[in-house]
Amino acid sequence: MSIELLVSKQNPDGGWPYLRGRSWTEPTAYAVLALLSAGQNEAVRKGLDWIRSAQRPDGGWPPQLSVDESSWVTSVVSLLPPDCLGEAAHARAIQWILSTSGKESSVLYQVRWWLLGTPRNPDSEFAGWPWLPGSAAWVGPTSLAILALQKERRRKDTPTIQERIGQGQSFLLRRMCAEGGWNHGSARALGYESRPYPETTGMGLAALRGASSPKLGKALEVAKGFLTECRSADAINWLQLGLMAHHQLPEGYCPPAQVAYRTVPETSLLMLVNAIGNGRDLIWG
Amino acid sequence: MAVTAGAVLAGSSGCGEDIRFQPSRVSIVRVPNYDQTLYDTVRRTVAEHAPDVRGRNILLKPNMVEFEPHSCINTNPLVVHAALEAFRSLGAATVRIAEGPGHRRNTLDLADAAGYFNMIPGFEDLFTDLNLDEVSRIRPTRQFSRLEKVYLPQTALSADLLVSVAKMKTHHWTGATLSMKNLFGTVPSGVYGWPKNMLHWAGIDECVADLHSLYPRHFAIVDGIVGMEGNGPIEGVPKPAGVLVAGSDPVAVDATCCRIMGIDPYKIAYLRLASGEVHAHLAEENITQIGQNIADVALTFELPPYRAGLRLGKA
Repeated sequence: MSIELLVSKQNPDGGWPYLRGRSWTEPTAYAVLALLSAGQNEAVRKGLDWIRSAQRPDGGWPPQLSVDESSWVTSVVSLLPPDCLGEAAHARAIQWILSTSGKESSVLYQVRWWLLGTPRNPDSEFAGWPWLPGSAAWVGPTSLAILALQKERRRKDTPTIQERIGQGQSFLLRRMCAEGGWNHGSARALGYESRPYPETTGMGLAALRGASSPKLGKALEVAKGFLTECRSADAINWLQLGLMAHHQLPEGYCPPAQVAYRTVPETSLLMLVNAIGNGRDLIWG
Repeated sequence: MAVTAGAVLAGSSGCGEDIRFQPSRVSIVRVPNYDQTLYDTVRRTVAEHAPDVRGRNILLKPNMVEFEPHSCINTNPLVVHAALEAFRSLGAATVRIAEGPGHRRNTLDLADAAGYFNMIPGFEDLFTDLNLDEVSRIRPTRQFSRLEKVYLPQTALSADLLVSVAKMKTHHWTGATLSMKNLFGTVPSGVYGWPKNMLHWAGIDECVADLHSLYPRHFAIVDGIVGMEGNGPIEGVPKPAGVLVAGSDPVAVDATCCRIMGIDPYKIAYLRLASGEVHAHLAEENITQIGQNIADVALTFELPPYRAGLRLGKA
């Protein structure tokens, strides 16, 4: 999908759908980021207007306008440069991210476990992020929240941001599958080891940029293996980002020709990955 | 509760009040393999139940979980294609396919890898990703879970008949995943995430019962040709059961599947919740079997860890 095609997918209200139909926050945020990286202006302006108007009073964003709760998509929006989104709107978004964590790591929940005499689950030792507040933390939303906070830390470093990034990265390392890499966030269930997925392995590695752990080597090997066999656009995008974060993307790598970039986030992330290769980084930069 | 033969059975609610209900009809068809004979088998099986589909919009909801073409984790695409052709031949105005996988975001890539593109001509045009569909906010009509509201996809809500084309699998949390648990795939991950963890916090069994009440126009087909036993619904192992089970009453269909699997349906919490106070449609004597008898096809599925108590006949 070219820039023109991405622009043609924009809805009259300024937002983007995943494939077609109503505007959703996630594809709109990714499309705006991608078009910013390409220097496009008019579609970006309309997209930013849609995003600003969708922000909820608590500072977060709903997945789409008919949903009355803020969610994980707030982290994707927070990757937008504050001078584009608006400093105040961006600051409130970061506050929403900082105030959100998986329900299993909340003090109330830990006290409940203690009162019930249940042994503490080691998986809940570190606070990650949920898809929706009121549920547990998982790899996908935790990775996106870390990316948003890492970007914010480059502008305004605070102990709170450092603490949450550290907690989130520890959460990811704890949830890594035994063979390396990540699935949705359940490395083992009822004593059975679970297998990693390509897309979440890429996300986890992208969020662990700059982290050091002996476990990272296994995850990087798994990611390289996935990259050679995987045919899913979303997964290939995230695997490239994950390997780039650790300077491990094979030189001259090019996605297989038969990969179908169907959704707006898939196309947008491809543009963002290519932009990083061309020195225009809107994910970490 | 006394049960008498006849078109309408009577029971007592326990408060001296008579409850009258229709017996449910459930087909059990022996199908040893995934082959071309399935098309005729599925068409005849659906027709036996004479669902009112002429001129209606039908939505097939398979169970698509993983990028695996040859494992027993997904509803076999041949069964889905056979169902598509069956409902078309019975005069449906439209037959579409839709699913919202719970763990993997890239649904079309999953469908491609799982063999749906190869098996079903024009699959991409027939398919809706329920995770990313338009949503409406709904309040459960009979609320069992802690969810006071749930966002559901328009494609599922607007179908004249939702056909759950499920897989016969054990499930480490609920005991068994069949046509009713398959409705979790209609809850949009675009709102709830991958996995749809909010449903776990609100009570898995209770949410299954809520979803059952939210889709009253519902038909069930369960692919037990090769099911899954052990640590299902993902990490289990294939169990060739050689059956297809179908009917208009998902509670009766799932209860029948449980008996075939050697699981006591009264011990499956969502079946107890969805079957009302007297659990009328769980009782084997209240279900009219068409085709094979349960005893002729029954097997013993290995149960998931810590679920040995679900075994049929175990006190």
